[in-house]
Amino acid sequence: MVTLSHYLFLGGILFSISILGIFLNRKNIILILMAIELMLLAVNINFIAFSHYLGDLSGQIFVFFILTVAAAESAIGLAIIILIFRNYKSINVADVNRLKE
Amino acid sequence: MIFTDYLFYLFSGILVLASLRVITANNPVYSALSLVLAFFSAAGIWLLLHAEFLAIALVLVYVGAVMVLFLFVVMMLDINIEALRQRFWSYFPVALLIALLFIFEIYLVVTDKFFSSSDPAGIPLEKSNTHSIGSVLYTDYLLPFQVAAVILLVAIISAIVLTMYGKKSHKAIDPKDQIKVNRNDRVRVVKMKSEKKK
Amino acid sequence: MTLSTLLTIAVPEIIILIAAMSVLLLGVFYKNTTSLFGITQLTLLIAAYFTAQLPIDVKLTAFNEMFIADSLSMFLKLLSYFALSLVLIYSRSFLQSRNLHNGEFYALTLFALLGINLIISSYHLLSIYMGLELLSLSLYTLVAFDRNRPEATEAAMKYFVLGAVASGFLLYGFSMLYGITGSLQIAEISSRLSDTSINPVVLSFALVFVVVGIAFKFGAAPFQLWVPDVYQGSATPITMFIGSVPKFASVAMLIRLLFQGLDHMVLDWQAMLLIMAIVSMLFGNITAIAQTKIKRLLAYSAISHVGFMFLGLATGTITGIASALMYIAVYVLMTLASFGLIIHLSNQGKELDQITDLSGLGKQKPWCAFLLLLIFLSLAGIPPTIGFYAKFSIIQATIQFGWIWPAVIAVMSALIGIFYYLRIIKVAYFDEPGKNLNQVSKSSNNELSVTLSINTISLLIIGLFPSSLMDIATLTSALIF
Repeated sequence: MVTLSHYLFLGGILFSISILGIFLNRKNIILILMAIELMLLAVNINFIAFSHYLGDLSGQIFVFFILTVAAAESAIGLAIIILIFRNYKSINVADVNRLKE
Repeated sequence: MIFTDYLFYLFSGILVLASLRVITANNPVYSALSLVLAFFSAAGIWLLLHAEFLAIALVLVYVGAVMVLFLFVVMMLDINIEALRQRFWSYFPVALLIALLFIFEIYLVVTDKFFSSSDPAGIPLEKSNTHSIGSVLYTDYLLPFQVAAVILLVAIISAIVLTMYGKKSHKAIDPKDQIKVNRNDRVRVVKMKSEKKK
Repeated sequence: MTLSTLLTIAVPEIIILIAAMSVLLLGVFYKNTTSLFGITQLTLLIAAYFTAQLPIDVKLTAFNEMFIADSLSMFLKLLSYFALSLVLIYSRSFLQSRNLHNGEFYALTLFALLGINLIISSYHLLSIYMGLELLSLSLYTLVAFDRNRPEATEAAMKYFVLGAVASGFLLYGFSMLYGITGSLQIAEISSRLSDTSINPVVLSFALVFVVVGIAFKFGAAPFQLWVPDVYQGSATPITMFIGSVPKFASVAMLIRLLFQGLDHMVLDWQAMLLIMAIVSMLFGNITAIAQTKIKRLLAYSAISHVGFMFLGLATGTITGIASALMYIAVYVLMTLASFGLIIHLSNQGKELDQITDLSGLGKQKPWCAFLLLLIFLSLAGIPPTIGFYAKFSIIQATIQFGWIWPAVIAVMSALIGIFYYLRIIKVAYFDEPGKNLNQVSKSSNNELSVTLSINTISLLIIGLFPSSLMDIATLTSALIF
């Protein structure tokens, strides 16, 4: 029988995968951005599962706004990536390191 | 087990595998496509949770718009994949250990009795999911709704401010620049030894 | 909620929103940027007028109890308008010389201010998140605003990635909190947490994520990774903005979430804040010693100042909050003065970058050097400047609460801090001028130097008569609960 715990555990696994992804792809900004999308997906699964089991709509409303904001956020993130590529001719974090002394 | 339970395991299996593929794929294009698969299976899970409107919004907004944007950027930039993959697996053991530890902690927390309810309260079904979201979105949640509009405006402004460089592509010559040109900018006198014919 | 109550409470935000959009439009059709500056300053003045009209001793809510106007919101909002107004005065000539002075800049700062105002007045997890994202997205753009300078885009990238991860952590915490309490409204969360049947392990799991998210946004150690790079990489006016006004939003977010929402878990978050306070104070002050670049040094000093503020908040008492509010106001005043000085000393082409660039300042620009002396004495916390009184009130609140050893560590870290602040003063007064000394540019206008002088002298004057500011902070924090 699938319970609330199952959904929460699924959200937790996704959250861990996204953190793992940020660790592993420390050099690749685009993949970091995708890992952040996964993180938000994990949060969304949590909210929707809670909303269903509590019988309360506000969790779903929260997800609605997270989706909106995440779309805006990725637009700005991709714009910054394009700027990085224009300035450094690379999106490799190893090449983008002028700020270290 | 009832039929929806099988569906849950099917969708979550695909979701976890696809998201693992997102973070380990060799090519960012494969990552983006796996992310699309992950979003599709997440939408399936949301349908099981009776969040029909959000499930369809996830597919339309995320898969339809955001992921296409990702693919555009990935394909537009000339990325040196090999350099990005250097020392990829050297962090893997430590990172995996941390992730497994984290999953274990979450397992301990979410299997608490507090979360073990198998019988959802459910949202009353006299109205459709879209209807009920719509009826609170413009009344109770007016403030975040307005702020969301402002956030989208900021995103538009910043995408334009950051990436639009005016019309650089045309080939017309600016007379102002032409007048300012110096001889030294255009001609370089090079001294060379005369070479002998062999 | 009737329309009239809504209008009385949210009218400053509505004005800011309208002004932001008009400035954006005017900037497109109307190339006179001086008038944009004037409109923005006028907006701040009008918003301040309407904010000050609200009652201080009553809690008014609007938008289905998502939006609150109380003493805390009034105190922090008025300070934000004032700080932003100074930021804009300092930035104008710098931005003009770099072709960054346009409608988009003013629109984005006003949108950021709107986000700050929303966070300050939020009484609901959803509106906190929306305000936070509005603020963050505007700030990412402002950092990358000088888009042809690689350092600025690199700073924007680092800020974006870490900021987005922090939002993810905060949201995961919010989702667990929602699951435990079944509500997103802060007062309701607080009342439902008084129910003792909730497993404390589950609750502290949610709390950890929320606190980590807040600490990231504050830039407290060990979540300070973004601070030095963003401070160094952004253009100086943007650094000044990021280092000052958003701090008011962060402190409001912390008070609303931890003091008003999770007040039943005070023992749990007290320990977390205390640990972060001590780590931040020591890490910030010790790392700052090794810095050679002045903006990086100020970044590490910012981390240590956040540590002091966390120490005041960690006590969880009214005096603790009052001292932290006092500290944040004083800290922002000092930050504005220090970055204002950097802008004042920057040439058209070259920014003041290395600490050694300051050498010989005492002989060539005695007035600037005197201002520098006052600012850094205040940052170091040496009497009779206000910086001393701010640190003193934090340590006093800590001792009153019965924490002796955290107070001792705070004093020790302040002593370490004095070392590198005094080194800068020594460079300015006693080192021989280097060949790359920045001459103050002719274009540096009068309004900048006059504002800088007033700002700096006020550090001394408020330091001599600190009681009125402290009274306001105490009144504000007493009326929060």
